[in-house]
Amino acid sequence: MDQDSIVVSSLSKSFSFPIKNPSVGWIKNLFNPEIKEITAVDDISFSVKSGERVAFIGPNGAGKSTTIKMLTGILFPTSGEIRVLGLDPSNDRKKLAYKIGTVFGQRSQLLPNLPLTDSLEFFGVMYDLSDREIRHRIKELSELFDLGSFIDQPVRKLSLGQRMRAEVVVSLIHKPKIIFLDEPTIGLDVVAKKSFRDLLLKINKEENTTIFLTSHDVGDIESLCERTIVINHGTLVKDLPTQELARTFVKEKNIDITPNTTFSVFPELPEGLKYAVKSKDKITVIIDISKIGVQEALRKLLDVFMVDDINVYDTDLETIIRNIYESNPAR
Amino acid sequence: MIPILKQSLEIFMKVIRLGSKIIQTLVRDRIYYPGKLMVDTFGMVARCGVLLLLYWYVFRLNNGMVNGTTFLIAAWSMFLYFAFSVLRLRGISKEIMRDIRSGTVEILLCKPISYLSYRMWWQVGTGLYSFLVISLVGVIALAFIVGIPETMSARIFIPTLVIVVLLGVLLSLFLYTAVGLLAFWIEDIDPVFWVVDKTVMILGGSYLPVALFPDLMYKFAVWSPFGASQFVTHTVYETWGVEWMMKVGIQVFWVVAFLVITLLLFAKARKKVSVNGG
Repeated sequence: MDQDSIVVSSLSKSFSFPIKNPSVGWIKNLFNPEIKEITAVDDISFSVKSGERVAFIGPNGAGKSTTIKMLTGILFPTSGEIRVLGLDPSNDRKKLAYKIGTVFGQRSQLLPNLPLTDSLEFFGVMYDLSDREIRHRIKELSELFDLGSFIDQPVRKLSLGQRMRAEVVVSLIHKPKIIFLDEPTIGLDVVAKKSFRDLLLKINKEENTTIFLTSHDVGDIESLCERTIVINHGTLVKDLPTQELARTFVKEKNIDITPNTTFSVFPELPEGLKYAVKSKDKITVIIDISKIGVQEALRKLLDVFMVDDINVYDTDLETIIRNIYESNPAR
Repeated sequence: MIPILKQSLEIFMKVIRLGSKIIQTLVRDRIYYPGKLMVDTFGMVARCGVLLLLYWYVFRLNNGMVNGTTFLIAAWSMFLYFAFSVLRLRGISKEIMRDIRSGTVEILLCKPISYLSYRMWWQVGTGLYSFLVISLVGVIALAFIVGIPETMSARIFIPTLVIVVLLGVLLSLFLYTAVGLLAFWIEDIDPVFWVVDKTVMILGGSYLPVALFPDLMYKFAVWSPFGASQFVTHTVYETWGVEWMMKVGIQVFWVVAFLVITLLLFAKARKKVSVNGG
């Protein structure tokens, strides 16, 4: 895992489009419209090692999809440089396509009316595999990902979970070195999500495939990716191991208290503590650890409440990520 | 020189293999769902059949001949138009527009293929099964009902028919692809598509066989790309024996012109690809 799969330096992408100016006539709007320029990606740099599992996250409109589409050769950068497996995606799009796989969560690449095997054969031919190689690879993938129960069913009859699995398998037909996934678990139930994540981990382990994933699902990031890159307003905000993400950005801890008395009016809390939940059976207090330590907070709370039980735990990753997004407001 | 030739041959073989796989897959898809064939057959019988009945009546009123053309020629010319239209090549415009609007174009741009050639093979594959079945049954039915004109027994008929059909397929694909690619600039290509499509229908002989056109319109049908894409309807005319070379030349010219236009448009369009989402 020491070779760079992806190297991005000073990458930027702007989109310009005409906008209607209601204060001028339609002729000016038609022939000489005002042009608005939006910088979707602004001078980002990072690299990804071969076999790494990277989450590329950010709020809506942050520039994730734009970046992933520049990495796969769909979009041309406005400036900067990209090397994916040593190739420039803009100039070597077809060559690169043989080495990468892509899954776009909201768009299917499968043939809806025909059995999944037809899609696999179809893409095998597209990726220039011989008939023998295609048969062998289908068998291999079918065994690896347990497709036996639905491989002969028409794709449109598959459940969403099975379809997403099939999408990944199709994108692996040519043994890509990197797989780019753009919000792949969108719409999946918890069981399907788990099975999907297991599948990706398996690919990564068995075939050393680099995984580059964008997702809004914290579970995808936590359970799949060892590294997280955060992008917001087109700029790179954080790039660190996922575990450190929690450690670095935990500004709060939670305390669940099961009181043994009931309150009609809840007592005021000292500075650095605030209520998250106030109920008869359970009180949750958030500690701002920059203002008050856990020990001090516990002591003060025990002065105020008579407790049956108490539990201290970290803020979840979702809150941490939200804090990161919110600490980088719009430019 | 030899490595270049070898490389070109390899690329050509790849394109043919992918093309035949697309066609094979889509033909299987159509066989899987025979409803599509029935709809196509019904459409063909309804449109072509009604027009043929009307023409039969008009020709009978005029002692069996209009503008030097017999009903037999008009019937076969019209049949060839409708059989060719079953290939549904015009649909490529809408497919491209859908790809652009839905973002499917991005999925295809991630593949090691040329988007344009993929879409063209796909379009041919979409209509090929219906085209083959309907043409075969139609030829037999029409031969029994109205007979076969002498022009179809000429030695050059079959070879020139094949050439004109192939060039017509290419020209139609390029013409409608160019219309479809406009969706990169104007979101809704329907008005442009409507104008181009109706022009092709009129000048191709959908409503009235080209042989019956007034002189100026006939010239426009022959020299414009819209009419040239449907030269298959001319192959049964008495004049085909002397005009086929010129008409094939016109088709070749428009095929090359629209190939260049399409490639230039696509090169520009690639830079216009934007993204859905952030």
